[in-house]
Amino acid sequence: MAYARLDRREQLTGWAFIAPALVLLGLFMIYPIIWSLWMSFQVGKGMNLSFGGFANIERLTKDPVFLRALGNTFIFFIIQVPIMITLALLFAVALNDSTLRFRGLFRTAIFLPCVTSLIAYSTIFKSMFATDGVVNQALMALHIIGSPIGWFTDPFWAKVIVILAITWRWTGYNMIFYLAALQNVDRSIYEAARIDGVPAWARFTHITIPMLKPVILFTTVISTIGTLQLFDEVYNFTAGSGGPSDSTLTLSLYIYNLTFKFMPSFGYSATVSWVIVVLVGILSFLQFLVARDRRRT
Amino acid sequence: MSSLKLSGVRKSYGHVEVIKGVDLEIKSKEFVVFVGPSGCGKSTLLRMIAGLEHISAGDLEIGGTRMNDVDPSKRGIAMVFQSYALYPHMTVRENMGFALRFAGVAKDQIARQVQDAARILALEPLLDRLPKELSGGQRQRVAIGRAIVRNPEVFLFDEPLSNLDAELRVHMRIEIARLHKELQTTVIYVTHDQVEAMTLADTIVVLRDGVIEQVGRPLDLYDNPANQFVAGFIGSPKMNFLAASIVEKSAGSVTVALRNHSGVQFTVPASGGAVGEDVTLGVRAEHFGEPGAGAADIRLNVDVAEHLGSTSYVYANAGGESLIIEREESRNEMGQEHITVSISPERAFLFDSKGQRIR
Repeated sequence: MAYARLDRREQLTGWAFIAPALVLLGLFMIYPIIWSLWMSFQVGKGMNLSFGGFANIERLTKDPVFLRALGNTFIFFIIQVPIMITLALLFAVALNDSTLRFRGLFRTAIFLPCVTSLIAYSTIFKSMFATDGVVNQALMALHIIGSPIGWFTDPFWAKVIVILAITWRWTGYNMIFYLAALQNVDRSIYEAARIDGVPAWARFTHITIPMLKPVILFTTVISTIGTLQLFDEVYNFTAGSGGPSDSTLTLSLYIYNLTFKFMPSFGYSATVSWVIVVLVGILSFLQFLVARDRRRT
Repeated sequence: MSSLKLSGVRKSYGHVEVIKGVDLEIKSKEFVVFVGPSGCGKSTLLRMIAGLEHISAGDLEIGGTRMNDVDPSKRGIAMVFQSYALYPHMTVRENMGFALRFAGVAKDQIARQVQDAARILALEPLLDRLPKELSGGQRQRVAIGRAIVRNPEVFLFDEPLSNLDAELRVHMRIEIARLHKELQTTVIYVTHDQVEAMTLADTIVVLRDGVIEQVGRPLDLYDNPANQFVAGFIGSPKMNFLAASIVEKSAGSVTVALRNHSGVQFTVPASGGAVGEDVTLGVRAEHFGEPGAGAADIRLNVDVAEHLGSTSYVYANAGGESLIIEREESRNEMGQEHITVSISPERAFLFDSKGQRIR
């Protein structure tokens, strides 16, 4: 790599240009991150903090609510991300077909959820899945169920609704990435495959998926991070409780509760935050490992 | 090896007809080149033969069987695309063997066939590379290899050399000619480059606006173009066209006056035409003679002269009409502003106002 050495004046000018951004980033991002790491070693309530070493980490292992939140987050992640990624891929491939009519309409319809207001859609979901809501009424009218399901009072169904909601909201967002990637694929590759006698399913599994691999990896990592930080939907559906009986409590909601709802325990909530960071790191690394090119690049 | 027959083949997209009734017979082992300007329908016609485009009307037969509604993979064809269309995540070996995996061929058999094709195309050292690690010419060889492996009855080439640089194009052209000789298959080759057409083809099919203008052997088209379009399309540099009108007509010949050269008129053998009709005189660059050697001389202003060593091309004009004149030896003509050349009627062509040849 060859680069010209800048003289001192030019170097200073360069730094001066990026200084404002750097100061803001440092003040509002880097400093809080470091401070939160420091805080995660503090114990005590409210502002009455003292250094506790690994006490918070020890507390994590014995905290049933934390373990519950961790388990819930994992369930959301393991079930929701694969469903959403698969759906997004299928939608993208279907909506990339140039012979499909009303493509633009479908694309918009599927993409729209991720730009709608969070509160508005949460409220609509809540009303749809209320005990006397439209979903129960429809299911009963079709004689699929005999009596209304308490969607938000049953631990199993509450999780299902959360998964349903975030899948509805984010599938279109991921689909757009796949569509963009698919539109960059040379059409004659598929034509060559047709002449080669490669059946449609194999064109999908052997050509489309491998060619979209970098995008699939990207969306998987982004979705993983998003799911590990899941907060808004659960908060809105359960009025911040993560109920029924903590069955939809996520790590982020727990952090919020630890900080702002219970007797403030800043040190401990910082520790839980760092758990998310570590998990994101590990999961992303694993995903990169799985998706790694089997050959040298 | 298969013959091909197209009868009354048409293609329309909505109300727009792009192939307007093509009848063509291609003999087994023949190397046929579809040539024409862009938008003439040559690629569409090829894609219809491949089965990538539906045939709106008419019949396509390959080896005596009607193939209109047969799946592309069952037509006994293989196609090489302009963009190579290699599978980017597969090695050369996998690219070449991919089709066979789905044809139910045994693994060791696939390996053998890939190896054979690789040997023919000198791809053996590259078998484990990815397409992105290859040069343009190598990629095109892989694309050809992928076609060979399938052992097709008919090879289809869609402008295969357009993405290559000039030197490589010449090299690959020779390679393809050699391959055809070695494999003895029927080849249909689409190009807009008439040099490729002239050098590769047994038979050239000249297309314009979805219609076949002329079918023939390369030199037949060169020596005997059916109309002004073919005359202008086949041959490099392009045939010169001089505007003229018929001033006198007698049995078997007409006397024409050149519009941009006042007072220049001469008699040309011709089979048609009427007095007063606007016609076009066609003269190839190499058919202009020394002054006084032909029936008439014309004087031109020189724009540019390209001296290539063995030959030169003089770009000249008169009255807004540009002409290209080929000269064998021009060293002592360098820097001239005017040039006088003669026209020999027996080497010239004459086209009527509709572009049909009358001589």
